[in-house]
Amino acid sequence: MNETVRDLTLPLSEDDARGLELGETLTVSGLVFTGRSRLHIRAIEQGILPPLDFSAINCFFHVGPVMRQTEPGWEVVSIEPTSSIRFERYSPALVRKLGLRTLIGKTTMGPGTAEALREVGGVHLSKIGVCGNLLRRQVKRVVEVHFLEELGKTEATWVFEVERFGPFFVDIDATGRNYFAELDAHSRERLAAMRGELGIPEDFAYTEVNP
Amino acid sequence: MIDRDVISSAMYEAMRLAATQLPPDVDAALVAALEAESDPLARRHIEVSLENARAAAEGEGLVCADTGFPLFFITAGSRTQIEGGFGALHDAAAEATGRATADAYLRPTMVDPLTRANPGDNIGPGMPRVLLSFEGDGDGLEITAAPKGGGSEIFGTFYRMMYPSDGEAGILSFVLDAIREGCYAGKICPPAIVGVGIGGTADLCMALAKEAAVLRPIGVANPDPNVAALERKLFDAARNLGIGAMGAAGTSAVMAVNVETAVTHTAALPVAVNAQCLVGRRWRASISASGDVSFTGDPA
Repeated sequence: MNETVRDLTLPLSEDDARGLELGETLTVSGLVFTGRSRLHIRAIEQGILPPLDFSAINCFFHVGPVMRQTEPGWEVVSIEPTSSIRFERYSPALVRKLGLRTLIGKTTMGPGTAEALREVGGVHLSKIGVCGNLLRRQVKRVVEVHFLEELGKTEATWVFEVERFGPFFVDIDATGRNYFAELDAHSRERLAAMRGELGIPEDFAYTEVNP
Repeated sequence: MIDRDVISSAMYEAMRLAATQLPPDVDAALVAALEAESDPLARRHIEVSLENARAAAEGEGLVCADTGFPLFFITAGSRTQIEGGFGALHDAAAEATGRATADAYLRPTMVDPLTRANPGDNIGPGMPRVLLSFEGDGDGLEITAAPKGGGSEIFGTFYRMMYPSDGEAGILSFVLDAIREGCYAGKICPPAIVGVGIGGTADLCMALAKEAAVLRPIGVANPDPNVAALERKLFDAARNLGIGAMGAAGTSAVMAVNVETAVTHTAALPVAVNAQCLVGRRWRASISASGDVSFTGDPA
């Protein structure tokens, strides 16, 4: 993680976001807020949002951090980006509602989020490897926490100030293209070839007991 | 007679070690996967993961922050005696899990499935999971602590009740589809250890798959040559799906495909898949009848 890559300041401008290329590697510096399923469900179903200025704190980091309370305050133990695709039901509405230009998580989201990011001029950034301890080093400050009592440490909304945070790679760009969609087409072809090599008949079907 | 507190301390320590150190066989398999991989992004995924694990081993953070489901696989001998009886294993496991969570070696991740309320200590009905089996005529305890990450469990669990006429084509087809689906976009965090259960009842079939994924040392084949041949076919095919580490392009989708079997109903062919992620966390405590405890990352 030592190579020098481009660092962008948060919140991303629309020009910054639209200038990012699919597959590009970058780091970000500024303020991020965290959340998982509970934030999504509550925000859309119940209209409950953390009291943040989303024009300033605009980077939504999909993570349940491991936090430890120490004498001077909260300390980050490890922060592993979590699978973003689990939030696909509510993510497009949240991206539009808050005008989110930067999502950070683990690999891929659905076409709904890709379309919402295209509309607002935003990107999804994916983690590289298992990296929670390395990302921890780049958290300069735990700024604040919301909903800690109601949701617990894992689902609470934490605000972190980060510096040269990453690197991440752009897996959904601001035109809505998805890095994994092309790989998927390729692996489907490979799967068909492998089925042939293993002697699985082309017309194989599981025995149907409700014909 | 093994002291209850000795068991609880050993469980805590095994869980702490599992959360902070890669098992040696998994570490070696990741290094081998890196050497064999040519896709630059897939290589980077593995390099970063190894660097991250080294930081954890040196006292900085965790092997992975999703410490997942707290599982304890316990094997006792026929002469093993425990202070307070075997039921004390559940209390000891809960105490160890609560301590490991309070000390931030486990993230508070277990919640009520309906209310989603989080007690904050990873303890509740069914968790920590204690799976007890008996083997041999010894008097000690073997306890494997496995914090099993969400990615592999949530996205890497598949089951199908097939029928005898579906045969090997059905098995190969089902497992390969499961591997491709799980590895797509790195959902199960490849390079994965893929456990496959064939036979038994539905729950035994899934238990076989889970044990094959979590407990079997990497590089050890099933002793039955027919089953080992099936493992080899699936492993080779999985490396040719055009999927590498964390769902990048490449070949490093799997570190191992481990198949376990049980006899089953003459009308049935149940097949289950359960994946373990690239950090393959498990650490084992061996407790002798006199209460001596030793730890190893090499599974039994």
